[in-house]
Amino acid sequence: MTLRDSAARLGRIGAGITVLAFLGLAAVYVRALVYTPVEANQGAAQKIFYVHVPAAWSALIAISVTGLLSILYLWLKDRRIDLAAAASAEVGVAFATIMLTTGPIWGKPIWGTWWTWDARLTSTLFLFLLFVGYLVLRGVLVDPTVRANLSAVIGVLGMILVPFIHLTVYMFRTLHPAPIVLKPSAPSLPGVMLVTLMSSLGVFTLLYIGFMMQRYALGLLREAREEEMANAS
Amino acid sequence: MGALLRGAWAIAVKDIAIEWRTKTAFASGLVFAVLVLAVLFFSRDPTAVSSQDIAPGALWVTFTFAAMLGLNRAFLLEREMHGLDGILLTPVPRSAIFWGKFAANLVFVGTIEAISVPLFVLFYDVPIWLRFPEVVLVIAMATIAFVAVGTLLSAMVVRTRYAELMLPLLLLPFLVPPLVGGVQLTARLLEGRPLSDLGGWLKLIGAFDIAFVTLSALLFQVVLEE
Amino acid sequence: MPPSADVVLSATGIARRFAYRLVLANVDLTLRRGDVLLLVGPNGAGKTTLLRVLAGLLSPSAGQVERPGAIGMVGHEAMLYPALSARENLRFFARLHGVDGRGRVDTLLGQVGLSHRADDRVGTFSRGMLQRVAIARALLHEPGLLLFDEPLSGLDATASRTLVGLLQDFRDRGTAMIIVSHEMERLGKVATHMVRLAAGRLGELESLAGRDPVAVFADLMRGDL
Repeated sequence: MTLRDSAARLGRIGAGITVLAFLGLAAVYVRALVYTPVEANQGAAQKIFYVHVPAAWSALIAISVTGLLSILYLWLKDRRIDLAAAASAEVGVAFATIMLTTGPIWGKPIWGTWWTWDARLTSTLFLFLLFVGYLVLRGVLVDPTVRANLSAVIGVLGMILVPFIHLTVYMFRTLHPAPIVLKPSAPSLPGVMLVTLMSSLGVFTLLYIGFMMQRYALGLLREAREEEMANAS
Repeated sequence: MGALLRGAWAIAVKDIAIEWRTKTAFASGLVFAVLVLAVLFFSRDPTAVSSQDIAPGALWVTFTFAAMLGLNRAFLLEREMHGLDGILLTPVPRSAIFWGKFAANLVFVGTIEAISVPLFVLFYDVPIWLRFPEVVLVIAMATIAFVAVGTLLSAMVVRTRYAELMLPLLLLPFLVPPLVGGVQLTARLLEGRPLSDLGGWLKLIGAFDIAFVTLSALLFQVVLEE
Repeated sequence: MPPSADVVLSATGIARRFAYRLVLANVDLTLRRGDVLLLVGPNGAGKTTLLRVLAGLLSPSAGQVERPGAIGMVGHEAMLYPALSARENLRFFARLHGVDGRGRVDTLLGQVGLSHRADDRVGTFSRGMLQRVAIARALLHEPGLLLFDEPLSGLDATASRTLVGLLQDFRDRGTAMIIVSHEMERLGKVATHMVRLAAGRLGELESLAGRDPVAVFADLMRGDL
């Protein structure tokens, strides 16, 4: 099977997983809106939580995958690994965006303000900026080997940076508590809500995998075509 | 090991000599530092915000932005006549280039910091001399952090068309832990808290230093490859 | 069979890719002491890339380069620092080579005829003078092989003559050289061999013994003219 065929097949499997994940997402929405009780303090707005938290979770998976694949690339120097790392970064930026937009939507009715420098929001903001930097860098580099090398460097550095940023923001927050104390994902969630959250986490993980596979397949096909075009002349 | 140190030293000395001759980046960095300090001082409501309150933030923003102006200089000076190729043709270990540039950058940024601090004391009326050694320690630790990553990233972006734009874009997330830590530590020290109280932030910056100086040195090889 | 102790460079199966294109393909080259090779070919053939791979500035995508001896390179760019003087530049590179600086630097400056400008900033030099400092830089570690990328480009007649004189000195001393150039009238007498690189592939080595270099060049380039 040629590279083209295996890439196309990978893309189809990825699409299948994505469809499955969207079905699961629909089920989670139904469960969250209809079958999960409304939270006492925050009301209906709290339900955004079931999208907001898993989105952040997927973004974190994305940076970890990008970081680990970057290390693997630096070791094996296989450009396909770089393509996979880049695919993960693109998917990650999408999930980070979802988290960052659902945050204010949730925040406005509850806290009266669009943005708080809450530990998780802030960390995800910087994660988002890291992804953007990574993708912009890729955009300005023409040679695929140089692009792969330099992206991998940012990927590794970025992955190691994330826990430091989280710690920084956490330490900052414990010194400067928010005007309204909030407990968005306190472990003391009643069972029903916990199950909804867990299902949503599972669905979002599946979404990540599906998107990632499709994006990777697309990357492989694009690379194959660039190579063909360059050598045709 | 000897070749590494000799090479790094030679490269650092060469960089400092070149900057000393032209002084362009240094002058811009200094003017920039003064401007930032002054603008931040004036852009507040003096009846509501005391200069002492914004002082630590102002100082650290000044340091990091002036540093970013200077970081691109290190690899830009190699471009004019491809001096770096000349270095690569010698048997000097590649990591010596990183350590040499890192050292030269530290001298550059350190000098701007050393000149900014008295200005800072002057403008913001801050009793820094009461905790001077501790403040110097904090400044040193945080500076090492962002200069290490900045050296690596400037080597990366110098080949792109938008180097001046790409460096801040890529570097800023890496500035968060040392910058926030630096501000917090400076503020607490000026409030009179003993160093022993500040273990948390010190450990954060210390761990960051170790992690990122090591990573930057290791990954530098990759950045040099064409 | 000439003794292998005389080999200064041995490249086998060199390939190099850039942005999906094969810039060099399956290049084999062996050079011995005293060989002076003129590398010719159409623009974009990969001559500069080949020199950079041989010098070690680029790593090949495939193949190997063995460098039993030291190599010096004089490229398109001077590889110097404009803000430093000729002497300072040379002393810097000498330190990186681990060569004892002062004496050697002064000798080399004399050899290339720049002792009187040794303490002037290189940024003020003409192209001809830059080339000479670059040559001094390339000679610091007494290499057995020198690589030249279009050494006469941008030089006036006088500067060219000076440079060709230097090249003849090197040849007389047995230093091997690879010179990328099309200036047959000036360099033809210095060279011992000629070879053509086209579309990344190296042709057969032509010996210049007893032949007119201009004619050999015309022959090799026939397809491109």
